[in-house]
Amino acid sequence: MIPNYQLLFETLGEAILTLDRDGFILYANPAAIQLTGYSIEELVNLPFRKLYPDDEDIVKAEYELDLAQKHGRFIVEGWRRRKDGSQFWSELTLSPIRQRNELAGFSCLLRNISEKKTHELNLRKSEERFRLMVEAVRDYAIFMLDPTGHIMSWNDGARRLKGYRADEVIGKHFSIFYTTDDLETEKPRRELEIAVATGKYEEEGWRIRKNGSLFWANILLTALFNEQNQLIGFSKVTRDLTERRDNEEVLRQSEERYRALVEQLNDYGIFMLDEKGRIVSWNEGARRINGYTAEEIIGKYFSIFYPEEDLISGKPAMELKVARAQGKYEEEGWRLRKDGTRFWASVVITAVYSNKGNHIGFSKVTRDLSERKEAERALKLSFERYRQLASELKEANTELQYANQELEQFTSIVSHDLQEPIRTIKSFLQLIELKLNQGQHDDLKTYINKSINAANRMRELIHNLLHYSQLNKNDVVVEKIVVGDLVNEVMQNLKTAIDASRAEVRIESDVEQIEGDRVQIVQLIQNLVSNALKFTKDNNPQVVIRCSRENGQVKFSVADNGIGIASGDMEKVFEIFRRLHTAKDYPGTGIGLAICKKIVDRHRGRIWPESEPGKGTTFYFTLNEDETTSLPRK
Amino acid sequence: MKTYKIIVVENDEDEQFFMKEGFDSTGLFEIITMVKSGDELFEWLEANMDSQPDLILSDLNMPGKNGYDIIDEMKASPVYAAIPVVITSTSSTPTIIAKCLTRGAADYVVKPETFIEYVPYVQGLYQRITDKKLVK
Repeated sequence: MIPNYQLLFETLGEAILTLDRDGFILYANPAAIQLTGYSIEELVNLPFRKLYPDDEDIVKAEYELDLAQKHGRFIVEGWRRRKDGSQFWSELTLSPIRQRNELAGFSCLLRNISEKKTHELNLRKSEERFRLMVEAVRDYAIFMLDPTGHIMSWNDGARRLKGYRADEVIGKHFSIFYTTDDLETEKPRRELEIAVATGKYEEEGWRIRKNGSLFWANILLTALFNEQNQLIGFSKVTRDLTERRDNEEVLRQSEERYRALVEQLNDYGIFMLDEKGRIVSWNEGARRINGYTAEEIIGKYFSIFYPEEDLISGKPAMELKVARAQGKYEEEGWRLRKDGTRFWASVVITAVYSNKGNHIGFSKVTRDLSERKEAERALKLSFERYRQLASELKEANTELQYANQELEQFTSIVSHDLQEPIRTIKSFLQLIELKLNQGQHDDLKTYINKSINAANRMRELIHNLLHYSQLNKNDVVVEKIVVGDLVNEVMQNLKTAIDASRAEVRIESDVEQIEGDRVQIVQLIQNLVSNALKFTKDNNPQVVIRCSRENGQVKFSVADNGIGIASGDMEKVFEIFRRLHTAKDYPGTGIGLAICKKIVDRHRGRIWPESEPGKGTTFYFTLNEDETTSLPRK
Repeated sequence: MKTYKIIVVENDEDEQFFMKEGFDSTGLFEIITMVKSGDELFEWLEANMDSQPDLILSDLNMPGKNGYDIIDEMKASPVYAAIPVVITSTSSTPTIIAKCLTRGAADYVVKPETFIEYVPYVQGLYQRITDKKLVK
C-alpha cells in the first residue's frame, strides 16, 4: 500500500472497502466503518454479503461481483444493512482489482443515498397520488399526448367517455377522436400548433366515440414543457357537453320559436330597449304600427316615438325610471309614427333583468288603439245619430199623434157637427113634401125657416172649420208687434159687441212689443175678449187685458167677471165645436177657444183658464216658451 | 110585452119632437122625460130618486155635458151605474162607436136618416134591448 493512497482513503468522506477475490473484506476506511456501524476488526474478513439485507443471499452477492469482474464496473442501488440491522439506501460501485492479469479482489464504493431516495420516493408517492386521482376522475377524459400527438396515458373518465380501454388506445394518434370533416381540414394538427404557440387550445365541438357515435365535447389541450423549455407533450382534458348542448338546443329552439312568434306578431309592437333606452330589437308589429324598419330603428333612442311636448317634459326618461322602480310602466297616450302622424297607443314598459338579477334593459309592448278609439268614436257618433233620430222620430210621432187627433176630431166633426144640419134640412124637406102631398100648408113656413137656420148653422160651421184648418197650413209669420197696436186692433174689431154689451175693457201692459204672427195674435186676443163679453150674467161685463214680462217671458191674461167655468170643464173648453152651454143660452159654434189653443201651440206657448164659477174667468197664455225657461202657471 | 121606461137626452128640440112621436106611436117605451143635456139629466135624476128609468137613450154631441160625459158620470156613480146608457148619434164611424162602448155605453144606435123615420128606429131599438137583455 502506498502511504499516500492510504491517507486519501482514510480521509475520504465516502465509504471505501476492498474485498479479496472471494468477496471477503480486506480493508475498510473510517467512512465505511462509520456507515456500517462495524469496527475495523469486525469488518476485516467479513463477507461483503453481510452488508446485504439478506446476509445469506450468497447468490446475489456472487452475481454482482461476477458482473463487476465481467464489465469492469458494476453500479447498483439497493438496501444495505448496518450492524444494528438498520438499513440504508445505497449506491454501490464495484470494480475488480487485477494484479498481473489475475483477479486480486474488488474495490467497493458505498454511498449512502437514503436522503435522495426518500425525496425521490416522496415525489413518486405524490405523482402516484396525482396519477391515481387523474385515473379515477370519471367525468373528464384526461390523457397525455406525446409531442406528435400520440396517446401516452388514459384515465377512467376517458374510457367512459370515449369507450376505449387504455390498452386499446395508448400509442394511437389522438386524431382518432375527430370527425372526417375535421380530419380533412387537419384540425388535430392545427390544435396542437395552437397549443404550442399559445400554451393551450380550448374549444367545443363534435368528437367521435369508439362506437362511432358523436358527442359534444369541451376540450382543453395544454402544451407541456420541461425545464429546458422543450415540448414534452400535451395534456388533454375532454368533457362531454352533449347533455348541456341538448338543453341549450332546447332553449335555443324555444327562444327561436318565441322570437319568431314575437317577430311575426302584427297587432303588437314588441321590442327591447337597453338600459339606456336604445332600441335593440324590433318586431313586425312595431314596424306596422310605428312605420320604421328594424334597420332604421335599431340603435335609436325610443324617445323618437314621443311628441315634442313629451320630450320637453322628459316623459320617456320618466317612464323608464318608473318601469325600473316599479317593475313596469303602463299608460295610454299619443305616439308618433315615422311619417309624423299620431296614433293613440297603449304602452307597457317592463324592466328586464338577467338571470343574475342585473338590469339589462326594458321590453316595450305598444298597441295602436287608434282603430279602437276610432271605432269607439264611430259608435258614439252612431249612438248620437240614433239618439237624434230617435228624438226626431219621437217628435214626428208626437206630430203624428197630433195629426191623428186632428183627423179623429175632423171625423167627429164631419160625422156629427156637419151631418146634423144636413139631416135637419133633409128631414124638414121630407116633411114639407109630405105635407104638400097631403094638401096641408099650415106648417110649411116653419119647416122652411128651420131648414134655412140649419143651412146657416152649417155654413157657419164650415166657415169656422176652414178657418181653423187654415191655421195648420200657413206658417207663423214672426214679426215685432207693438202691444198697444195689437190691443187697439182687437178693440176696433170688437167695437160693436163691446158697445152693445156696455162692457168696460181695460188694458194693463208694461210690455212694449212682442214677437209673433200679428194676424193670429189679434185673432187670439179677440176670441178671448169676445168670450169674456159673451159669458156674462148681467149687462156690465168688466174685462181686463194684461200683458207682462216675467223672466223675459211674455204673459198675457184676459180676465172677466162672467159666469166662470166649472173645475171639471177646464180641459173641455179647448175642444173643437165643444160647447158647454146651449146655443139658446150662449150662442156659438164651439170653435173660438179651439182656434186660440191652436194659435198658442203654433207660437210654442201655453194657454190655460183659471176660474171661479159665478165670479169670473181669467185666460192666460204665453208665447215662445222654448226661448226662455218655463214660467210657473201661477 | 114589456114596456121600457126611458129617458131621452137630445139637445135639438125638433129632433126631440119627432123622436117622441116615434116612441109614442109604437107604444113599446114609456118616456119618463126628455132633457136637452147631461146637466139636465142629472138634475132630473137627483130630483126624481123614486122613479128611475130602465134605460137612458142619449145623443152624443150636445152643449154642456155630452154623451161621453153622461156615460162617465153614470158609470162613476154608485146609484146610477146599473142603469144602461144607449148612445144614439148620426155618426156610423166605427172609431166613435168603439169609443162609446169602451167607455161603458150599453149599446150604440145610429139615428135614422130623417126625423120622419123614427118608427122603425124605435122598433129596432126595442128588439136590440130585448135580444141583448140590456134591461135586467
